[in-house]
This record gives sequence, structure tokens and C-alpha cells, in this order.
Amino acid sequence: MASRVKLLLVVLFLTAIGGGIAAYKHVRLGLPLKAGTLPEQWLVEAKITFMASPEGGKVSARLSLPAAAVDEGIGQESGSVGYNYYVEKDRGEYAAIWASEKQSGNQAIYYRVSFPKLLKSGGEPMPHSGGGLPVAEDPGLSGASENAAKRVVQRAKSVSADPNSLFVSLFTAINAIDASQEVGVLRKQYEGEVGGRSSAIPALGIDLLNLAGVPARLAYGVRLEEARGGQQPTRLVEYYDGADWKVRDPDEPASTLDPEKIFVWNRGGGALFEVNGDAEASQLTFTVIRDLVPLTELTNLRDSPLLISTIFGLPASEQAVFRYVVLIPLGAFVVVVMRNIIGVSTLGTFMPVLLALALLEIPLDSGLIMFTVIIAAGLWFRFLLSRLNMLVVPRVAACVVIVTLLMMVLSVVSYKLGIRDGLQITLFPMIILAWTIERMSLIWEEEGKRSAIMQVGGSLFVAVIAYLFMSIRQVQYLAFYFPEMLLVLLAVIILIGRYTGYRLSELMRFRDFKEA
Amino acid sequence: MTTDDRQEEKASEAVSPQPAGPLSVASKPTAPVVRRWWHRWIRTPSELRAMGVVGINMRNARFLLPNNPRKLYDLVDNKLRTKQLAVEKEMAVPETYGVISSPRDAAMIHRLLGNRDSFVIKPARGSGGKGVLVIVAREGDWFIKPSGSRLSLDEIRHHCSNILAGLFSLGGKRDVGLIEYRVHPARVLTEISFQGAPDIRVVMLHGYPVMAMLRAATRESDGRANLHQGAIGIGIDLATGRTIRAVHHGHPIERHPDLKVPVVGVQLPHWDAILDIAVTCHEMTGLGYLGVDVMIDEEKGPLMIEVNARPGLAIQLANGVGLLRRLEPALNRHVSHPHDSREQKIDFSRRTFAAS
Repeated sequence: MASRVKLLLVVLFLTAIGGGIAAYKHVRLGLPLKAGTLPEQWLVEAKITFMASPEGGKVSARLSLPAAAVDEGIGQESGSVGYNYYVEKDRGEYAAIWASEKQSGNQAIYYRVSFPKLLKSGGEPMPHSGGGLPVAEDPGLSGASENAAKRVVQRAKSVSADPNSLFVSLFTAINAIDASQEVGVLRKQYEGEVGGRSSAIPALGIDLLNLAGVPARLAYGVRLEEARGGQQPTRLVEYYDGADWKVRDPDEPASTLDPEKIFVWNRGGGALFEVNGDAEASQLTFTVIRDLVPLTELTNLRDSPLLISTIFGLPASEQAVFRYVVLIPLGAFVVVVMRNIIGVSTLGTFMPVLLALALLEIPLDSGLIMFTVIIAAGLWFRFLLSRLNMLVVPRVAACVVIVTLLMMVLSVVSYKLGIRDGLQITLFPMIILAWTIERMSLIWEEEGKRSAIMQVGGSLFVAVIAYLFMSIRQVQYLAFYFPEMLLVLLAVIILIGRYTGYRLSELMRFRDFKEA
Repeated sequence: MTTDDRQEEKASEAVSPQPAGPLSVASKPTAPVVRRWWHRWIRTPSELRAMGVVGINMRNARFLLPNNPRKLYDLVDNKLRTKQLAVEKEMAVPETYGVISSPRDAAMIHRLLGNRDSFVIKPARGSGGKGVLVIVAREGDWFIKPSGSRLSLDEIRHHCSNILAGLFSLGGKRDVGLIEYRVHPARVLTEISFQGAPDIRVVMLHGYPVMAMLRAATRESDGRANLHQGAIGIGIDLATGRTIRAVHHGHPIERHPDLKVPVVGVQLPHWDAILDIAVTCHEMTGLGYLGVDVMIDEEKGPLMIEVNARPGLAIQLANGVGLLRRLEPALNRHVSHPHDSREQKIDFSRRTFAAS
């Protein structure tokens, strides 16, 4: 039984390495094995990217920092290679400065802040710093737009008593979908000047506030939501109500900032960041991660040797992708169990995993409804197509087109019905759907509808099980913070790979088996 | 990848061949099983093990992977190559009328067909009977299928381009189509089958035939020979070639559900030749574990239709015998007598696995 011994050795070896590293992390670095034993932390990472000139030259970058973070000494760190770095303080505002004599090519500079949940958002009322009182600056409008702006301000002033209510009525007016003509003119003009709606509305609002005699300026915030990929800074408006500077979200003028949803990064009207010297195409993106491990331990982890730190040596923007990547093996594991131990028949081997990943992006119920509707409608079209006697590849391509159109229709319909989830379907793997329809229709013709529905149903069932498994918080936690556990998973998969016992489905299949 | 268990996704791990493990099945008959409440739904693993039932996992890990090297698969997955080999071995196979290997051939299909009025078009890499088109007669411009439905030349052409595009092949590879002689099954067989032509499958290990069954179509299975689609599986006594047991949807039957003729106790003609074909297939492919499909033609006798490197497990149901009861003796014999000649192998199987 040499092969059995070899197998056991491999399994033991993998388990020892995986389990060993995990144990080291737990015991020596203090990473808890259970999710949720700690208050949640937010990790916000600012990433400045720019192109330094290829010959190399002087570059300096400046990023204004959230005062709250520096003042309260919450965890923060910066990451950059080959730069002089220091923090300068200027009238209560902080800025991180990176400077270098010689940099070339693509550059990325990181600054991370980590803070526990339910802290202040940083947008609280704050007295004016730097002597005197703030003065509303004239926005310098002229001609038709000045008249329009004055009229809008007048209308808002007539229904408001103080700067707060003026703010609300002004922003309600310029956010309105069926805006008045004056607002329409102004919006068009500002969108032409500063670009898209998200930057035009705050800019217009600030100018109108100033016109009304309320000092106002731009502030920047970060939305505390884990989106895949980075997010752009959110533009907020800071205004002076006669006693304090306050920050509000122009999209939700009537409410103060919710510290659970938004974190104010920069206020005081300064630039959010600037890159000087021989550099161009500079950009700032924020990545937000809900971290389940305190920053001190994370820093320990990040400073450990390569083998231990694994993905934590990466900046947050790169880590965010791995939150999903580490889940794929888990889905594959579920498929292995469902096929080789339970015996559910599926369409293809790993279609369920891909479906489960798609489900991670959409709420389960609407995802399943979408899937079923698209498959059913697609099948119907596919049978119409089959009368045309087309060749295979064009037929699958036609299926892709039909699936795309179906998705559009579904999204529009669900939006009209007030279901918002339909709009997130764009990432639903369309090629998979098209192939599913094609294969299902073939099985339908070859083996009858029962077998086709059984197999697609089996795939869906396995996908849902895999999705449920992947969405358990504890499982996600272990997969992300203890990725070496994947080696243990590998050992289990290898063991199942040599499992020669019966599948559950076979126990049923042979239930009437009698020896002759 | 299809979901037919014969096409179970193929693990590509190398497993060294190993003798039978400790889970040998004693050849003593088991005590009569007491019916318990769970027997309505399942049999326990220990009961199945005691009866020597082989599951897919065991088939793959203990018999398929160790004995069938991956490089030999293409030989049998491609019917064109299998037929060429068989012809070299002077084995009887259905005559090939033509090969459709390019869209041009598909367009000129009427030339390849000539004025033949019965033929079969099948994909070379098809599996589980997918994409097989049987034409039994012509009426003017129409081609008649066994079910009586009519096809135009255009539809046949379209079927051929589907074959070429790899619609029916494993993994969707590009494929070629074969046009070949349509077997006219021996009367003994047509009498026990509803429409479709029944075929005989012999499963072998290391060249020892271990089990055989006949698959006959029913009204429900619509001319197909797949058991889970309602065809009947009829176990065959290896020693004599007589049918000994039949099952329909897993339940033993005595008579054909549609034709009401007895299906048990039928003597198949040419049984010696059929076993000979099976053993020759093992020799020419080098596969350790395989299934050979044979049809018996009224005039030409037994013809080899295809070789399957992943024969399924339904054959156990048809025979009412667990495969392990047959595979283990064959394996032990192979270990103790590695140089048996083909006659000795056939002789061993007929003696050892005879139905008492």
C-alpha cells in the first residue's frame, strides 16, 4: 500500500504546514480564531498614483489628513518606497508630505487610517480657526447665470430662517429632478465647467451659499462601504452657520453626517492632495475595508516574514480583491463534496462555483429569480433559434446577445417596479448563462426535459449551497486572515479524491438492488 | 464534460495500480436482507458493500484510473480510430460509407449518401448515443427515422454541421461525422425491443469478460437504450449467452412492458463470437477496464459498434450481481496468471461467472 502511505504523508505534511502557520499566527501574533470577538475596525487607505517623468526628477506629494485621526492618535501609517515622509501641521489641519529627488515611471503612495466603528465622522461643528470671522466670497458670476443664481438664492432665503435651513432648501432645490429653469441653466453651466454631476452640484451649492452670504467651502469624505475596487473621494460641503463650521452631504442636505456611513477626510477648504514636480496624471483613490483585526496585530502580521504575512504585505486596494479570491477554493470544495459524496449531478464541474460567486454580488432571492427568468426566457428564444438551423458558434453568440438584452429588460423592469437589486446584475457572468442555456437546450432535446431541469436545478442547488457556505462570516474570516488554512483544505480535498465509498445518490439508486 | 456517469469528469491524477484492498467481497451469498423502514428510500453502505455493488467513486479510483492510461482514451473516444484498429484486427464492424470531415463534405452530403436508403450518421467523438441519426428508409426527397418522422436533406446537412462544430463531442472539440451501414438487428433481438435496435454490452477487466447485458428500447425510452430513460436492461449469462434477468426502472421484470413478450431465457446467437470480439477490443486498445458494445446483424452476425473506456454501473442492476463480485476474481486471476491467452481468459470467465 505504498500509495496509501504516500497519500497520508502528503496529507499530514500539508496539514502540518497550514495548521502550523495558523497556530503561530494565533498564539504568537494574537490573531483571534473566531470572527466577531472584536469590535469592527475600518481601514481606510488613500492611494495616490501618478506618473513621474521617465528620466526621473524631483517629485513631491501632499495629502491632507483627517485631523481627527491625527489628534486622537488612532492607528495610521504611510507606505512608500524611496520618499522622505513627514507630517506638517498648519492651523489645525494636518498634511502628509512625501518628497523625493529622483523617481521615475508609475508611482503609488499609500496612507492608511484605521479606526474602530462608531467614532465621530469628523464632520462635527468646529469653531473657525485663524482669527477673525470667515467671509463669504463672491462667486463672481455674471450675466444670465448671475440673475438665475440670485433668483434661486432669493427663493431659498424666503423659506429659511438660518444658514442650516438655507443649506437644506438650496440643496433640495438644486438636487430636485424637476428643477426650476434657473437651476437647470446653472447646473448645465457648472457641469460644463467642472465635469460630472457629483462635482457640479457641490460647486454650485457652495457658490450659491456664498452668494447668500453664508461662507462655504468644499470638504472631502470617504464612504464607509466595502465596494470592490476603489472609490473616488466624496465631495461634501462645509459651511459656517455664524458660530461653527459644519459639514453636510449635499446628497442628503436635511440630515447631519452619519458616522457609520461616512468619514470626513479633509475640511478647511484646502486641496485634498497635490502632486508637484515632474509628474502627471495624478489620481487619488480610497479603498475601504472592514477589518476584523486590530491594527497593531495587523501591523505585526504585515511585518512578519513573507510566508506568514502572505497577502497582508499588500496594500489594501490589492487586498480587497483577495477577499473574493480566497473564497473560490471554498466553493470548489463544496462542489467536490456535493459531487463525490452526495452525488448531485451538475452541468459541468465548476459552473456552480461561478454561479455562487455571482450570487455573492446580488442578494440571493433576486439573484435566483433573475437566473431562473433569464434561463427560462433564453431557452424559449433558443428553441425559436433552433428552427433556423444555425451553426453552433453563431448560435451561442446569438444566445449571448439575447441574454444581454434580457438582462437590460430585466434591469429596467425591476427598476421601474422599485426593485433596486436588478441593477447590480451587470457582473452576472453572461457567458456562463449563455452556455447554460445552450447546454440545457441540448440536454432537453437529447435526454428530455426532466433530465435537463434536474441538471440545471442540481447546478443551482450546489451553487446556493456553495454561496451559503462562502457567506458565513466565520468562514470568510478564516479564509482571509488565515489563508494558509487552504493547505488544510487541500489535504481534505486530496483525501476525498481517494474516497472510494458510495455516494448518497447511489444509496438511493441501488435501493431496489437485490442479488439474483 | 457531460453528466452521464460514464463521462464522469476525469481526474488526472496518477494512481499506481494496487491489488484489491481489504474491502474484498466474500463470495459467499449474503443472508437474506430483512426489510426495514429505510429500505423504501436507501440501502445502507454496508448492505451495498456486502452485495459487492460498485459505486462511481470506486469504479474511478480502483478500476478506471489505475488501468486506463489517459493517452489511450482518444483511441476509443474517437470512433474513427477505433474502427480503423478493428479493421486491422479483421474484426467485423459496420461498413463505413463516408467520413464528413469538412463543411464542404457536409454541403456535398447527397454525394456521399448516393442513393442509399438506410444509413447511420454519427459523430466520431460522440458519447452516450448523442448525435446519432438513424435513417431507415427514403420516400422521394424525405428521409425516414425509425420513429417514422421525416427529415429533409437540409436537416441532415444541418445535423452534419452540428457534428463538425463539436456539438456532441466530449469537451466541445471539433469533430468529424461518420456515415455507416445501419445494422439490421437479428430477429431474436427485434422481437424483444420496441423500435430501437438493441445492443449488447460486455464489460471486461484485463481482458476477462466480467459481465454482459442487453439493452432494449421501450415505448418510453423512444428508441434509446439508456436505462435511466426507461429502456430495459437484460442480464446475460456469460457462459451460455442466455438472458437471465431483466430490469425496468430498477425493478425485475419477466416480460417486455410494451410488447409483452418474455425477455428472460432468450438465447442470443453467436455468443462465442461476441466474447471473442470483446477480448480482441481489449487487446487492440490496451485498456484494462472497458465496455464493448456489440450489435447482432441479421446477415453479418455480430458487429462491434464502439468501445467505451468508462462503462457505467447500470449493468449491475440488470444482472442482479454486484460488479465487485466479478471484478475481484478477475483481478486476482490477472495477478496470479499474468500470461493467460485469450482462450484461457474467455474460458476462465465462462467457468467462474456462469449463472448457476
